[in-house]
Parts: sequence; structure tokens; C-alpha cells
Amino acid sequence: MRILEMTGISKSYDGNRVLNEVDFSVEKGEIHALLGENGAGKSTLLNILAGVVPGDGGTVHFDGVPYPRPSIGEMEKAGVAFVHQELNVVNDLTVSENIFFNHELTNSFGLLRRKEMIAETRALFQRLGVDIDPTRKVRELKTSQKQLLEICRALHARATLMILDEPTTALGNDEIEHLFTILRQLKSEGSSFIFVSHKIPEVFQIADSYTVLRNGELVRSGILAEATPFSITSDMVGEQYADEDVYRARELGPVVLELDRVTSTAFRDVSLTVRQGEIVALTGLAGSGASELMQAMFGAVPIHGGEIRAHGSRASGSIHAFMRRGIGMLPTNRKENSVVPDRTVLENQYIAEHNLSAGHQWIHTKVELEKYEKLKDALNIRTQGPDAAITSLSGGNQQKVFLARWLNTDADILLLDNPTQGVDVGAKEEIYALILELATSGKTVVINTLEIPEIQKVSDRCVVLYDGEVVAVLDHDQINEHDVMGLSTNAVNAARGA
Amino acid sequence: MEEKTRNKFWRPVQSLWREHSYIFVFVVILIVYVITIEANGKTFTSGHLSSILSSQNTVVVGTMAIGMALVIITGQIDLSIGSALVLCSGVTVVVFNLTDNILLTVLAALASGLVLGAVNGVLVAYAKIPPFIVTLGTMLIYRSLALWAVREIPSSVSGSSSSQFAMESGTRSYEWLRMGFGTGSLRIAGFAIPYVSILFLLCVALFVVIAGNTKYGKVVYAVGSNDKAARLAGVNVQRIQASVFMMTGLLVGVASLIQACKVGNITPASSGRSYEMYAIAAVVLGGIAMAGGRGNMAGVLFGALSYSAIDFIIVSIPALSADIQDTFQGLVLILVILVQTAGPELRERFGSRRRRPRADAGSAAPASTSG
Repeated sequence: MRILEMTGISKSYDGNRVLNEVDFSVEKGEIHALLGENGAGKSTLLNILAGVVPGDGGTVHFDGVPYPRPSIGEMEKAGVAFVHQELNVVNDLTVSENIFFNHELTNSFGLLRRKEMIAETRALFQRLGVDIDPTRKVRELKTSQKQLLEICRALHARATLMILDEPTTALGNDEIEHLFTILRQLKSEGSSFIFVSHKIPEVFQIADSYTVLRNGELVRSGILAEATPFSITSDMVGEQYADEDVYRARELGPVVLELDRVTSTAFRDVSLTVRQGEIVALTGLAGSGASELMQAMFGAVPIHGGEIRAHGSRASGSIHAFMRRGIGMLPTNRKENSVVPDRTVLENQYIAEHNLSAGHQWIHTKVELEKYEKLKDALNIRTQGPDAAITSLSGGNQQKVFLARWLNTDADILLLDNPTQGVDVGAKEEIYALILELATSGKTVVINTLEIPEIQKVSDRCVVLYDGEVVAVLDHDQINEHDVMGLSTNAVNAARGA
Repeated sequence: MEEKTRNKFWRPVQSLWREHSYIFVFVVILIVYVITIEANGKTFTSGHLSSILSSQNTVVVGTMAIGMALVIITGQIDLSIGSALVLCSGVTVVVFNLTDNILLTVLAALASGLVLGAVNGVLVAYAKIPPFIVTLGTMLIYRSLALWAVREIPSSVSGSSSSQFAMESGTRSYEWLRMGFGTGSLRIAGFAIPYVSILFLLCVALFVVIAGNTKYGKVVYAVGSNDKAARLAGVNVQRIQASVFMMTGLLVGVASLIQACKVGNITPASSGRSYEMYAIAAVVLGGIAMAGGRGNMAGVLFGALSYSAIDFIIVSIPALSADIQDTFQGLVLILVILVQTAGPELRERFGSRRRRPRADAGSAAPASTSG
């Protein structure tokens, strides 16, 4: 019997179609994996199901009842619970208060019946084999315990279909095993789950059936027993489409950046050498340590072992010290880490340079404007002028200003963390061309990205991380979507193990 | 055609209003002041302006407000400046009484201010205690230290009774300090400009230049606007956060010199009470955003002048007692901020209704919008 049936679901944002007539159904008492690359439309589909965003077309039937315009409250009442990746627990309340949040038991004076709530929580935990003290503050719990708490809260609210959005990214192996045991038990009791994960091995471990989305379309749906990690990865990446090729092989210079057994909390024993003019891509899923590795190369996160050398001399200490060695980093999450929102384009471009030349405090506006014009032309930045607010620029143009921020300091090792995040397609192509141009002119580029076509397009080598370790270094000719996806989801090992 | 000429006149006014609204605030308050004076049957003269410019609220509070503006631009707050003012003035008076030396007295004022500011800065930036808490603590500490010291120090050194620090009069350096940092004024072409006003204006000018034309100034704004982005661009955020408290300390030192020399004595129990709040008010009237990252240092000048002018208005209305002064200052403060925050919202609500048909007309005939 089907507990959920979604048919012909479509959704567009600003004329951009993200879901196209997608059918999706879940049987009662199964764990159904929803798979797809970033931007395939998984989140949108689930958000429509949970009533977070309205769909443009299609029908939703849950437990045999049609929901023409699902709202959050309606779907919650019907028994759909969304366990988000960023956990929605109230840190300052106790465990039992979280379980009963918004439907607390009260007496006739409106006071809480605390003892009963704690007892009921304890009984629920006992039934599920969850070992958490109901009276503890949620703040003191581990991430895995918070995850379990959210699932328990959903169960307590009588949810029959739970959406688990990448529930294992923050968990260790034992914790994952514990979670899976509980999921299996709940499944046998009749609960259903939609399981979103990028880790193919665990999908095979826990799920019964699967659905793959790609570019907003349904690609395949079936039972996992009839699929292989290879077939699923192929479904996810699809036919290789080769659009305009900007890559050119280039003459490389001497080694300029060396990592020697670098270790931090997020990665271990990473060694890497990068030559002048080279473009090296780092890739890995959330939790793989790729982003942290890049930040460590800029001094933004501390390392606990090993050594980073730039131009032969050791780099350590503050960000400023790394900048002095000619390193610049374009951070991920532009709005949070790059934009200085109250300031102008010119000031945003100059902030890093001002730090390096702080010995001369006086600002020579004329000199700055000349350099601004030069970089503006070189990077083709479209603005209303140097005094325009940085926030008046489009995402792609902002990103170019922040690239200019480092070109302005004459940094020759550029670290780009997710450089095309939130940038539209046209601007993306421009940024790829720019990266290659910079490398040709002698700059060394390390980019961290999850988008495999991007890696294929620009990089000479690709370093794949999984769970804090380098699992492969691929040369340009070896980089293909299927292998990189397989390595970064560890599907390769899963296939070998099976 | 008509629209074009109208735009030519209004555009600069509009942009002036948007970016320098504090000038309008001051002009409006000044006009009210002129009206109250005329209503009392007197005439408004340059003497009135010069007394606003040299009043306690302008020179003492205004000088400290410059530092407060820097602190607020970095997204922090300093509640200790009123207490620091008393303690610094006490140190200044004591050093003067002991040495009778102008240079040492001035240095003592500046150095004590710098030390008190540095205590705040280090606790906030390096011990990572919220600035509100740190400066609330030092606000209590600095004043009580002054109260304690004035009782403990022998009257031959404190210069007065057990409740006041007073400068020993009679010497030439006493006269010089009282004139230079207190009551004296420069006469140019018939106008008398008090020295303290010149000192205040110089401080404003200095910090307008620092904020607008130096790399340090740009970084101060960046830290207040997005400290994460500033850090990832290589800014030593902690050092900047500490430095603005030290700048404030120096300016408190300047203010304490004026405070001591203007009157000749200082009473720890009552002097400088609530000055931190007056300074915040001057900063806000000066159009500097409490959230940090935005505002013009020149605004502090107009903010301080506006705040003093309100004082003068109330004093010039015989029906009002001085006790009601703070009520009016509070009301004006809220009103000004209300206009600034509600203004754009109202414009959006009513402006969009008007603008929509015009946008359609523009797209039909795009040539008319160019040129």
C-alpha cells in the first residue's frame, strides 16, 4: 500500500524550471532513498511535500487523502515530519521539553505537568532503545543525539512518514549504526522514511527502494536489490554533456605550494604539491574536510600537525601571515564571508590590500581608482561605478569584485572555495574562463567545489577527499563525473565490498 | 521639461537628505531655537551660536562622542566614558597640583584616558567579554575609584574638600590652563571663538580624515559591517576592536582636560553623570547606525550641536524648568530616529503606488528616460 503518491509535480523559480512533472511515491513501511546531485531538485520536491513551498502543478496524496495545496500545518497533522539537516531543536530547553514542544501537557492552571512529560519521554526512549536523559539540556547533547531526539519528537507527534535530509553527515560510524538500528525497528512497526543521502554505501545498507532525480526530472525509480552503486551513480550524473571546452594544457612552473602531512580536526595526513600556473581542484562532500583543508591553506583554521610551505618557506600563524606569502582565498558563502555590505565596490575591492600596505595609512584615491578601472576591465565587472554599493551588484559580479580583492594584493596563489556558488550560468562560464586566464598568466589556483563539470572544465588535477582523507588524485584526462562521484561518495569501496 | 528641472533641484537635496540627514536635524532644531529667542523678544546673534559651540554638551560630551562613534561603528558600545571622564579629570587635577606644569598636566590627562580605554579594549577584544558588560563594570569601577580617591588623598593635593578635586589657583600655569582649555577665546574679526570649540572642531576634523582617508578608518567600518569578511581579508579584528576603545580613551583624556579647566574643579559624585548616554544620543542624532558599519564622523559634530541646542531651547523657555530638559531631549531623539526609520518605509509604501504607472510609461518610451 502506498502511503505517499506525488504525481506530475512541477516547480519554477523566476521562470527557471527546477522540477518537471516528477512522480514520486513511497510504500508504507519502507525506507525510500531520494538521490540526485546538488541542484537535481530533491530539496524542492521535499519542500513541496512538507508544505514549505507551494508547487506549480501536480497532485499530492498522503494516506489516500488528496492535498491540493499542502501547508506546513496540514502536512504535520497528516503525519509528515521533516528532519532537517540543520537540526531544529531548541538548545536551551530540556530533552523532554523539546519532545513536547508546542503541545505541552498542562494542568487546569496552565502550568506544565513536568513529571508526566518526563515519564512519557522516558517510556518513548526505552521503546526505541535511545539512551538520553530526558531532563538534560539539549545544548549538552551530541549531534547524533540531537538527530535521534528529532526523530523521537516526530514519532511522538504521530508522524508516519519521516523525511531524513542527510541524517548521517555529522555522525560517526557507530552512531550511524545505532541510527540505522532504530530506523529498521521503526520500519518494522510500520513507519515510512524518505532518506536523502549523498553516501551511496549507506543507501545500500539501509534503504529498500530508490528514486533518482536529475536536473529536475525523474530518471529512475525502483528497488535497490536490482540496482548497483555503478548504475545509480550513472543515473545521477547522466549522459556526459560536453559544452564549450575552455581547458587548455599549459606549461607548468616550479612547485610553489606544498602540504606535508597536514592534519587538523577535519582532515588527516594530507600531502600535496602544487606547481606554479597549475589549477588543482579539491572535491568532497560535506564532512569530507575539503573546505577545511582549503581554509587551513589560508590560515583561517588551525592545523595540528604537518607543515604548509609557500614559495619554499613555511607558512603559519595568522591569515595576515599567509597573505604575506602571496596567498589569497575567495571564501565559500559569499554573503557571509566576503561581502562587507555597508561599503562601496571600491572599498570592498581594497580591504585586503589595505591590510598588506597598512604601513602607509594615507589612501591615494587616484591610484586606487586607476587600479580599479584596470581590474574592472580585466575581469569584466559590471557596476554603476566604484562608489556603488556592493550589494547593488549581481552575485556573479560581486564574486568578480572579491576575486579582484586578491588580484589587487598581487597574490599569486589563489584559493577559490566554491567560486560559482549562487552565480548564474553565464557568469559561471565567465569565471571558468577567468580562472584559466589567470593560470596561463602564471597564477596558481586551487579550487574547492562539489560541481564535477566545473572540475572537468578547468582543473589539471583533481584531489578527492572522503572522510578527512585523500582517496584519489586524478589527472585532467582521468576526471569524469562518474568516477569522481563514485570516489567522493565511497561507492567504489561499497561495490568492492559487496 | 518641467520634471527635468525639478529633478535637477531635488536630486542633490534628496541625496543630501539620505546621506547627511543630521544636517537637516540640526537646521530644524536651530530654527526652533531662533523662533523661541525671537518669541522672547530678543534677537538671535552670533553669540548664541558661539555659546552652543562652547557649551559643556558640545565640547566635553561632543569630544567623547567622537570616540563613541568609532566604537559604535565597529558594532560595540562604551558605557564607561562618563565615569572615565571624572577619574581622568581627577588625575589631571592632582598632577597639576603636584607639578604646576602645563605639559605634564596635559600628558597626564591623555595618558590616564588611554590607560582606561585600553582596559576596556583588552577585556572586550582579547578576553571576549561583551562590550556592554565590560564597560558597565568599568563604569562602576572608574567612578568609585574617583570617589574613593578624593576622600583618601590629602586636601593639599586634591586641592579642596573631601568631595572635590580643585586646581590650585594663583600660578601662571593655572591661568594659562584655565584660559587655554577653559574660558578663553580667540578673537577674529569681531567674533569670539572659544579655544575649547577650536579644540573640539580640530578633533572632529582629525577623525573625519582618519575615518574617511586612512586605511585604518576603512577597516574600522569593515569590522562593524561584517567582521567575518574582514577577518578573511586579513584584518586583525581583535586589534581593531581594542584600538577604538583606546582612541575613545584618548578623547576622554582631552575631554577631561576641558572639564577640569573649564570649571577649575571636578566633583566625582555628580560630574559627568549620564555623559555616556548623552554621547550615544549625539552619535545617533549624527546619523550613525547603532548596528555598526554605517555613518559619517562629521555627523558627530552636528549631533553634538543638535543635542546642545535642544538644551538652550528649553532653558530659553521660562515656563519650563530645567528638570524637564531630559524629557525633551529624549523625545527629540526618538522623533528623529522615528523619522529616519519610518521615512523610507512610508516612501516605499506610498512611493511604489505612484511609481508603478510611471515605470510602465518609461518602458513604452525609453528615450524619455535617458539624458
